[in-house]
Amino acid sequence: MASSSIPPGFTLFDFAANIPLLWVFAISIVIGFLMVIVFRYASDQKAIGRAKDRLKAHLLAVRLFQDQLPVVMRAYGKILRGTGSYLRLAFTPFLIAILPITFMIVQLDRYFGWMPLQPAQAFLVEARVEDPATLDQASLQLPPELSSSAPAVHVPKEKAVVWRVVAGRTGNYDIRITAAGQTVSKQVVVAPGLARVSPVRLKDHFWERIFTSGEPALADNSPVQSIAINYLPREISFAWTQWNWIALFFVVSLIAGFIFKSALGIQV
Amino acid sequence: MKWLQSRRNNRLIPALLLIVVLVLLFPQRSEAYAGPGAGFAVLSSFWTIFVAFLYSFYALMTWPIRQLLRMFRRRRAYGKAQVKRVVIVGFDGMDPELASRFMGEGKLPNLAKLRDSGTFRPLRTTFPAISPVAWSTFQTGVNPGKHNIYDFLARDLKNYLPYLSSAQISEPKRHLKIGKYSLPLGKSDVKGLRKGTPFWHWLGKAGVFCSVIRVPVTFPPEKFPGVLLSGMCVPDLKGSQGTFCFCTTRASEGRFREGGVRIPIERNGAGFHSYIPGPENPLGTGSELRADFKLRPDTKRGQARIEIDSETFTIKVGEYSEWIPVKFKAGMGFTARGICRFYLKEVSPEVEVYVTPVNIDPGHPDLPISHPVTYSIYLAKLFGPYATLGLAEDTWALNEEVLDDQAFLAQAYGNHEDRERMFFDALEKTPQGLCACVFDTTDRVQHMFWRYLDKDHPAVRDVPQDQKPRVIQELYDRMDTLVGRVMQQIDDQALLLVISDHGFRSFNRCMNLNAWLHQNGYLVLKDGKSESGDWFEDVDWSRTRAYTMGLNGLYLNIKGREREGIVEAGAEAEALKEDLRGKLDGLVDPASGKIGITGMFDCDAVYAGPYVDNAPDLIVGYGEGFRASWDSVMGKVTTAIFEDNLKAWSGDHCVDPRLVPGVLFSNRKIAIEKPAIVDVAPTVMKLFGLELPAYFDGKPWAVGAAGVKV
Repeated sequence: MASSSIPPGFTLFDFAANIPLLWVFAISIVIGFLMVIVFRYASDQKAIGRAKDRLKAHLLAVRLFQDQLPVVMRAYGKILRGTGSYLRLAFTPFLIAILPITFMIVQLDRYFGWMPLQPAQAFLVEARVEDPATLDQASLQLPPELSSSAPAVHVPKEKAVVWRVVAGRTGNYDIRITAAGQTVSKQVVVAPGLARVSPVRLKDHFWERIFTSGEPALADNSPVQSIAINYLPREISFAWTQWNWIALFFVVSLIAGFIFKSALGIQV
Repeated sequence: MKWLQSRRNNRLIPALLLIVVLVLLFPQRSEAYAGPGAGFAVLSSFWTIFVAFLYSFYALMTWPIRQLLRMFRRRRAYGKAQVKRVVIVGFDGMDPELASRFMGEGKLPNLAKLRDSGTFRPLRTTFPAISPVAWSTFQTGVNPGKHNIYDFLARDLKNYLPYLSSAQISEPKRHLKIGKYSLPLGKSDVKGLRKGTPFWHWLGKAGVFCSVIRVPVTFPPEKFPGVLLSGMCVPDLKGSQGTFCFCTTRASEGRFREGGVRIPIERNGAGFHSYIPGPENPLGTGSELRADFKLRPDTKRGQARIEIDSETFTIKVGEYSEWIPVKFKAGMGFTARGICRFYLKEVSPEVEVYVTPVNIDPGHPDLPISHPVTYSIYLAKLFGPYATLGLAEDTWALNEEVLDDQAFLAQAYGNHEDRERMFFDALEKTPQGLCACVFDTTDRVQHMFWRYLDKDHPAVRDVPQDQKPRVIQELYDRMDTLVGRVMQQIDDQALLLVISDHGFRSFNRCMNLNAWLHQNGYLVLKDGKSESGDWFEDVDWSRTRAYTMGLNGLYLNIKGREREGIVEAGAEAEALKEDLRGKLDGLVDPASGKIGITGMFDCDAVYAGPYVDNAPDLIVGYGEGFRASWDSVMGKVTTAIFEDNLKAWSGDHCVDPRLVPGVLFSNRKIAIEKPAIVDVAPTVMKLFGLELPAYFDGKPWAVGAAGVKV
């Protein structure tokens, strides 16, 4: 979301660059185009064309011979078999595309999935530790731009301690947590518009780190398991409704893909 | 990027599969959607299933009502039916004498089985013995006086010019003028000129399902409860009955007599470019639309790469391309779509490409070629694009030596295989009811290759008899195999009829009847002229009493009927007819000593019905070996009356109809000595227990009961 106060030198481009809707549209269109191209070269276009044509033929058969029940039933069988054939043909390009797309979406989710903190906004910092006994010694060190607004709350059952913090002004900050004699840090982003945000820093949990964390792993011998900031999930206003960016990406990239495939004469 | 499709690189797939599995094992919201690729696959496949589901839902909800209606109609249809299914296999032009001869030689085992266990008879044809006439009679059960088809062509009484007798395509009536364009408001009007009701309409109304494939003179397709794909008389995209295109770098050798155009190929750097002529611009600019193509020859490999629209393909010398979609863009968003095949004749030293007539694209038909419209689309989706042109086998190209024998046969049998696929699909989709299909390969191949069967044919006099290919024998063998496949797919409850509309005879002498009429004072040319151009150019109508046009029709120039008629209807016309009959019947060819005309038939004697006035006044029955010359057909007066036929078109049936009956084979005994093609419609209707309309000319045959397993 754009900041309400416009800083000096802020251009229209900067303005547009901070509107997630435009970014999501632009990225979706580009990805839609690239996917169609990948599909074109990674698939057997003739076979896909034939499979689709046969499917359409069997659908037409259901309509044309609707009074011939055995014919209609056979056509249904062929439709199911034909769908299987089509999916088999579409599987190779699907496999080839899934890897880069997945990692690209993960990276984009750092920008579009979460809202960075705003100045004067209160937020929670939650640290989870290995040993509940160390909870009492856990302490939080903040940079001068951030301030604590309430005493720490200990939740021994969940091995967690929670601090309430207020952001002072925009910037990228490191907060530090000391527990059992070791200090670990976590990035906090206070910014208007779009910014790369990591909602959690983790120890271990390789796949979770890949998909949700944008920071290096905590050391193996760290007494802290994770540090999380409760950034708000981002919602994008479009067509009188609020969208998760992935849902919007899904719709727009598909539409773009279908437009490009028709324009380029590619069988999808 | 072909490596992506290579089997050798399939190690990539397991690796990617592993990643997918891992991703799915640790699902997070961001990877839950793996991009548009997955979206396409899922959407497309689920869309299909969704549509199928919708159809099913609709079918299920309406099933009780439809079932009730069906029960009611089927009780009417099948309650008195003697058969569950009638299968009609039409072989245009299959000759009973040839079939007998081949069966006598131990060939055609399947047809011989039908002959031995069921029926084999010559089938009387129509006057004249021409496919559109005979198949119109077949489908309507009436003589030509009631269905109004007497030839491929009919004459316009206002100007003595020909028009296609079966259908008329007219421009939209209203246009919107925008600058240089005249925008058509609405579609072209396609009007069928054949009168009468095909018997499958009666069957359909009674609840008998009918699949009808490529029966001649079914264009435009008429609405009825069943499916139908039109056959002979479907035009090409230009609106003609087939105009091929011969693109060549050789200097022009003049125009083709008919059926094709010569287009120059021009060099363009290392490659060449040319074009396919299309239909007239529908926006009223008066220009012909064109589809440009580029050609890059590879002389070492004897092939060429051709680029047209977004299609690029390579063909070798002596090979056909697949069906290639062609678009003719008229401007303002108007596009005519067609399909054609390329045949590479030569790449060095000259470049020559033959392009088939541009057929109406069955997948996107610009004109209706099936009923319902979706049926041609269904067939195109199921089997791929196919020839839709009525006369799809390019006999003109072989006649003009643009194609050689092998190229013509490859084209003809390619089309035939497509039709076999369509027919067997229709057979599968019609477990009960009527399934009828006409194969016209038999007609085209016999027309073009009879010269090898006739040891004295002037077109191949120099070829030793033992070197003549056995094309027609192979043709009959193929058709016999087809019949065998049909026999395997039907049971005792089905009646199989294998029929043809006429037989065949050699065509080795051409007769220009207009020349005879001219030399005998019935047709008069303008002063100083000894020959005329096409379509009676230079004919003095004010002194002409008779003329001929088309294949077998002879017309009197009747006062009040023809624009410049001079013969009084009534006694004078009758006397003139008698005079002409007397002189022409038995006319001898002085060179061969053979009888050129064995019968002159008065239209009043052979036709009856409301359209007799449109019939030729006399039907000319040419003798064996004779036929109307190409010039005579096109209304041209030459000096010679008789001449040798040196064309590949060497067999014909436009002779005395008594010489060329068709065939009737059946898997059941049919108790009739002289069956006629006009009897088929009443016979089938009676077998399904329907009342016969009083106006039918045909009489139903007594068909034996089931039980004789053929």
